[in-house]
Amino acid sequence: MNYSTSQFKNGMKLMLDGNPCSIVNNEIVKPGKGQAFNRVKFKDLITGKTLEKTFKSGESLEAADVMELEMQYLYSDGEKWHFMDPGSFEQFDLGEESMGTALNYLVEQDNCIVTLWNNNPISVSPPNHVTLEVIDTDPGLKGDTAGTGGKPATLNTGVVVQVPLFVAIGDRVKVDTRTNEYTGRA
Amino acid sequence: MPNFKEKLIRYQYLIRNIRDFFYSHNVVEVVTPSLLVAPTTDVYIDSIEVSVNHALSKSSKFYLHTSPELEMKRLLSKGSGDIFQICQVFRDNEHGHINSNEFTMLEFYRVGFDMHQLIDDIKALLISLGNDDPVKEISYAQAFYDYAEIDILNSDFEGLKNILESHGLNSDYEWIEDIQMVLFVHLIEPKLKTIPVCFIYDFPKQQAALAQIDGLVAHRFEMYIKGTEIANGYQEIQTSKEYRDRFETELGKRKSLSKSIGSLDEDFLDDLKVGLPSCSGVAIGIDRLFTSLSL
Repeated sequence: MNYSTSQFKNGMKLMLDGNPCSIVNNEIVKPGKGQAFNRVKFKDLITGKTLEKTFKSGESLEAADVMELEMQYLYSDGEKWHFMDPGSFEQFDLGEESMGTALNYLVEQDNCIVTLWNNNPISVSPPNHVTLEVIDTDPGLKGDTAGTGGKPATLNTGVVVQVPLFVAIGDRVKVDTRTNEYTGRA
Repeated sequence: MPNFKEKLIRYQYLIRNIRDFFYSHNVVEVVTPSLLVAPTTDVYIDSIEVSVNHALSKSSKFYLHTSPELEMKRLLSKGSGDIFQICQVFRDNEHGHINSNEFTMLEFYRVGFDMHQLIDDIKALLISLGNDDPVKEISYAQAFYDYAEIDILNSDFEGLKNILESHGLNSDYEWIEDIQMVLFVHLIEPKLKTIPVCFIYDFPKQQAALAQIDGLVAHRFEMYIKGTEIANGYQEIQTSKEYRDRFETELGKRKSLSKSIGSLDEDFLDDLKVGLPSCSGVAIGIDRLFTSLSL
């Protein structure tokens, strides 16, 4: 199935140079003395890279068979990360290179979005906010409840996040996975 | 809705300030017909056809003007001197979020001005409208050197096709000017988004439109505001024969694209036989100017 430039819209998944891509931005440019073009920004769903292409209006691209499914993260055996579709109980696994930043935030049993291309998993997005446990940080300063300063803390997934001084080992904290920022105590 | 009314009033001031600028420079305001006997010959602009009824149930075809250019040039050839016009223009088959089938155009001509003098005049107009953003002026060729390391004037059709392919773009284009344009849209325009006001001048001769050709370039310019095309101007060709040649070339291209072809406006070509005075003219999209400048 093909989509013509007139059907392009943000989020549409299309095949570009052999890789599935998602439209991030679609701009129609009609020079006063020229024909109309679509200047399109894509995200390559495999490499994560952004690329720009310009098409003559009326050109078309093949649709990419891409699905985003909510799955449960089961476990990692060190080489592969295993997920399960709770609807079908079907299991999928991904290598480290496809895990991206999800590695930093997922703990077993967490739900996340797994992207499938032709029914093969290609990437994982963690929820925007996760709750993790502090396993290592310098002792806090007593009385600093305003959270004016900051210090690094290692969380149970291994990721290091800047936290206020009052946060102590064993605390559960909320982290925004898009910015890797502490947003509060759980 | 105070914001809505405030916007209407800001628009009113824009129009009034434009008029003030031209009145104070002794540029005469004119009104020309918008119902024309011939459609535009522009390859990529389509006229809207209308049917006009006469007495005795006779009807005839007319075309809404896509710009007041030819009618204003008839006035220039009759000795009007400097003239301007603010009018609605109409175009068929337009699409895109900043394109419309009807929009407001400011068109003006300055007799005895070359292209650079006209650019200076537009800069003075922008200042009189309250815009004092810095203005960049760069030739089409220099923009391609600076932003894309491409020698656009000395690259042939095959060379430009290879460049398109190296950027992973479709190279299925009819003419060299189409490739120049897609490269401009793809590589140059995005760089102009950070520039408040940018004049691009001396277009490749293949994109001359109705501008004078000088070697590899035509004395044609465009003005971009933050990457959006706002104005298109020429140092104008002057003889009836040149107009006929340019129109016929364009009709030939329309034909090979299987687009509608109208007859030439012979009345215009007749009027132009006395010659157009040496002049430069420009069309400015008022709606886009209003939004881009947030005047």
